[in-house]
Amino acid sequence: MTTEAHPRAAKASVPATHRHKTQRHKKASGFWADHGWALTSVAIGLSIWEIISRFLIGNKLFLAAPSQVAVAFVELAGSGELQKHAWVSSLEFFWGYTSACILGVALGLVMASSKIAKQMLDPWVAGLYATPTVALAPLFILWFGIGIFSKIVVVALLVIFPVVINTEAGLRTTSPQLIETVRSFGANRRQIFLKVSLPSALPFIFAGFKLGIGRGLIGVVVAELFGARAGLGQMISQSAETFNMPALFAGVTLLAFAGIAMTSSFSWLERRLIPWRD
Amino acid sequence: MESSELAPVKLSVSNLTKYFGDLEVLRDVSTNMRRGEFISIVGPSGCGKTTFLRIIGGLEQSDSGEARLDERKISGPGKDRGFVFQQDNLLPWRTVRSNTGIGPEINGEKGPEQHHRIERLLKLVGLGGFEEYYPRQLSGGMRQRVNLARALAVDPDLLLMDEPFSALDAQTREIMQTELMRIWEEGRKTVLFVTHQIDEAVYLSDRVLVFARRPGRIQEVVEIDLPRPRPLSLKRTPQFVAYVDHIWKLIEDDVRASVLEEHA
Repeated sequence: MTTEAHPRAAKASVPATHRHKTQRHKKASGFWADHGWALTSVAIGLSIWEIISRFLIGNKLFLAAPSQVAVAFVELAGSGELQKHAWVSSLEFFWGYTSACILGVALGLVMASSKIAKQMLDPWVAGLYATPTVALAPLFILWFGIGIFSKIVVVALLVIFPVVINTEAGLRTTSPQLIETVRSFGANRRQIFLKVSLPSALPFIFAGFKLGIGRGLIGVVVAELFGARAGLGQMISQSAETFNMPALFAGVTLLAFAGIAMTSSFSWLERRLIPWRD
Repeated sequence: MESSELAPVKLSVSNLTKYFGDLEVLRDVSTNMRRGEFISIVGPSGCGKTTFLRIIGGLEQSDSGEARLDERKISGPGKDRGFVFQQDNLLPWRTVRSNTGIGPEINGEKGPEQHHRIERLLKLVGLGGFEEYYPRQLSGGMRQRVNLARALAVDPDLLLMDEPFSALDAQTREIMQTELMRIWEEGRKTVLFVTHQIDEAVYLSDRVLVFARRPGRIQEVVEIDLPRPRPLSLKRTPQFVAYVDHIWKLIEDDVRASVLEEHA
């Protein structure tokens, strides 16, 4: 067996009693240690908000208090209104986001494997990524109508660029030493791609997907603001027009939670799929 | 050694020359290796020893001259050679087992027989029980063991090792040298080993090719006539020290020149 020191392995073979102790210790302080201050901060923030809107402003046309938002949320959910809008927005997001991810990875692959393709696509990708393409939403509504298709296009357009850029960068920055190692065993281009470049780019690609979540949500809402029959963005804009601030905030709150939920489930998936990272 | 005198020629290198731009890295290098021989290459930095190894490995092309392995001309990488790199270059997303098996996998060899072979190899290099570990969980010495097992997994005719222990601390390196000797005694692969450590070369080898620099060429071939198996204590015997001294004298001026250049 091995005689030299190997810290990681040594750690793994630490006596069970010791390991147990450290685990218990972590558990005891677990939830509060990790989230205590965050929760406190949110609670304080909401209280200040509540106080300001109730006692300083005192006009819910101007600023709705969190308690009023909660009431509106329950009412909207009770009438099924909220679900209807959320469903439409989810569909738009889902189709726009998935098609952008698939297309984005494909384009990233093309750019990484061909110098000509990269040089040709680079100015477009860089230019369109930097441009606030949401500004083009009215145009897409003009072209594709006020149904969900125009929103899908806007979402896809916003999501695709971080995915393309990250996929391409991930593939390009694959360690040349690793490629050479596999090449020394006689690997062909396809094997090099599948066994080295792709797995090494996976964390980058995931980061692109994550960046896309926030951008996609913005796309849904903004596109709906410009004209839609239903959707959370439409609900928000209608609430704004009728000065129904609690309903407006209810919509925004739901979107915020959707964003947080998606981002954290992606992080979870990432830990599952990329277990070799610390 | 007497026995290798009789063994057939495994690798024959004739008049190998290599340029990097205007720089002549290797000039007219010729040598033969017999089957089962352990040959080391030592020399100062910039003597082309690694380039020479890479040409044999098929990772670089020579500008003139040729190298033949079992009469076949070397023109690219192949499964008849196993390359042990200076950095372990393990794929971080693969376990020890899966990293070790990558050569056979690339050559389309799988199945239970391969599985057992990998298992045996990992035991041989002292990593039994670590099959499911990821590289980041291993020490440098252990990672180099995987690096070696990976090269052995293709059952190569020729094992090429490029300063595989240079990144390890002194004690680990000595252990790895004895381990390499133990493994080598079991299979008697033909090994070409590049190092900048003279004592390592003497300890491991049947012959040491001493390279000179600018241009890189073989300055002298030193036969190491020491009995095997070789315990570490051999390193303190007068004969051993005499070999090391002799080789050091051969390369001393070159080393001084290269050191001065690096600091210039």
